[in-house]
Amino acid sequence: MIDHSTTAGEKRPMNLLIVDDSAVMRSMIKRVLGMTDLRVGTIYEAGNGREALDVLETHDVEVLLTDINMPVMSGTELLRILAANPRWRSLRRVIISTDGSTARRDEVAGLHVRCYLEKPVTPEVVRDVLTAVADVDLHA
Amino acid sequence: MFSLPLPTSIFTPDSEASLVAAVCDVAERSFFAYAEPCDAGRFAELVDGTDRWYSAAIAFQEGGFDGSVRCLVPEDFAAAMFDAFSGRGFDDPAPSAADVSDLMGELANMVCGAWLTRAASHQTFSLQTLPVVLSQACAPVSGESWVTFAVYDRPFAVAVRVDSPRELDGTART
Repeated sequence: MIDHSTTAGEKRPMNLLIVDDSAVMRSMIKRVLGMTDLRVGTIYEAGNGREALDVLETHDVEVLLTDINMPVMSGTELLRILAANPRWRSLRRVIISTDGSTARRDEVAGLHVRCYLEKPVTPEVVRDVLTAVADVDLHA
Repeated sequence: MFSLPLPTSIFTPDSEASLVAAVCDVAERSFFAYAEPCDAGRFAELVDGTDRWYSAAIAFQEGGFDGSVRCLVPEDFAAAMFDAFSGRGFDDPAPSAADVSDLMGELANMVCGAWLTRAASHQTFSLQTLPVVLSQACAPVSGESWVTFAVYDRPFAVAVRVDSPRELDGTART
């Protein structure tokens, strides 16, 4: 379990990683994050699952927002790798994908995904889901 | 109004209505816009004076069939859609052509995914990783089944194409 406490007992901001091969989609999600009252720390970005793993290997990230359909490494492959390694047990995982098929949902069912959002998604839904997956004491 | 020649073995009988619903959903949720289907005459009026278009296509596979969804958007309207999607303000720098092209690819991706989620009977579909986005001078032409829309009195069209089914070994069925 990740301890977000600082020496002063205050909770530190939450770091997020947005994984999507569309730069404008990543930008939209970042903008939405700025509209929430969550205490957001660093927002990392990756264009595919491989890049996401590089970020996760080298930075502390609490929430992962990932697309499914991406070049190089898909979101499903990324989630499989993460699920197989206890190092990322506490990482909160949210999917934001255009692929809402039953087959895809079944595919990721056992991969510790907190929420599966289907694009198109409104900023309000993204905000509400992030608020739900975050701890209440991460609010400003 | 329109008729999509889609195989009923893999698509639900209401696949055309599902496409309309998918476009309206994407327009409303991502671009805060109201899309309504329109007939050929109305669409021709809307197209009048439009010089350049974005064509954004994404391929998919479902139930042994290959297919694609293609969206046509006037270039100036695409820029306005970018502003709505990104929340760009008057003081912000104008988007690059690459940014608008990226969004058009995402548009095709969302329309295709939203439609297949509603209309694909098998629910085993997969989408091509990279959409193909082109800037072109031509308006929608015959040869594909276009579903036409008016979005804030601007033209928007979607075509769905489904190719011959593949056998399990990947060769085309004759």
